[in-house]
Amino acid sequence: MKKDLMEILCCPVCKGDLELEVVRENDVEVLDGALYCKKCNERYPIEDGIPNLLPPELR
Amino acid sequence: MVIRIYRDKEFELLEDVYDPGEDSYMMVDAALDEVTYGEKVLEIGTGSGIISLFIKDIANVVAVDINPHACRNARQNGIDVIRTDMFSGICGKFDTIIFNPPYLPTSDEERLDTWLNRAFDGGPSGKDVIYSFIENVRNHLTPHGKVLTVISSLTDIEDVEDKFRAHGFKVDTLSVHKICFESLAVLKAYLA
Repeated sequence: MKKDLMEILCCPVCKGDLELEVVRENDVEVLDGALYCKKCNERYPIEDGIPNLLPPELR
Repeated sequence: MVIRIYRDKEFELLEDVYDPGEDSYMMVDAALDEVTYGEKVLEIGTGSGIISLFIKDIANVVAVDINPHACRNARQNGIDVIRTDMFSGICGKFDTIIFNPPYLPTSDEERLDTWLNRAFDGGPSGKDVIYSFIENVRNHLTPHGKVLTVISSLTDIEDVEDKFRAHGFKVDTLSVHKICFESLAVLKAYLA
């Protein structure tokens, strides 16, 4: 996912802001990592460039 | 992997992803007519990414799908995609929101036990998903934003139009195609 997508993403549970945690990236985008919601203490994975913003029970 | 072609574009289609049909192609044509240069666009339920593919060079397009195979497929077709359930992980506002919804009336016995079910299953009346969309979409539109969607006569097009109007939208019918046992209508709903 491209980093500018952060502007439109939010936690699917509390709708709060997310923090981007990068594990692997290239010049264009983040390939692996997570989106962290501090309020819910929940990590939403980014795998192969696709952020998964489903609540844990729906993944 | 299968390759499909529409107009001048080739795109990939993976298993367990909706194979674009007449509804998809009507939506491509509508999007090319209605989306203007530089707009922010969100596509819900992108599937293979076919609709977003045609407008991504014109507009700033982001797509979502709940089906993991669809997400992978849309990404392979060059679409910026997020896996989420309709609007649940999305907080921004968009000039155009595009949705080819699951609109088929579906009983318990007809339901598929795969992710592909999410591309068709509109609940017993066919209206469950489009109604939920209409109830939430306004929060994600800019003040002059618009919605492009497609619905079948099997679902009741007039009821869906009325639902949009009840939520403050004006509705235009952009195109109607009769196919063997149903009619499909592409609707544009916009804030007055």
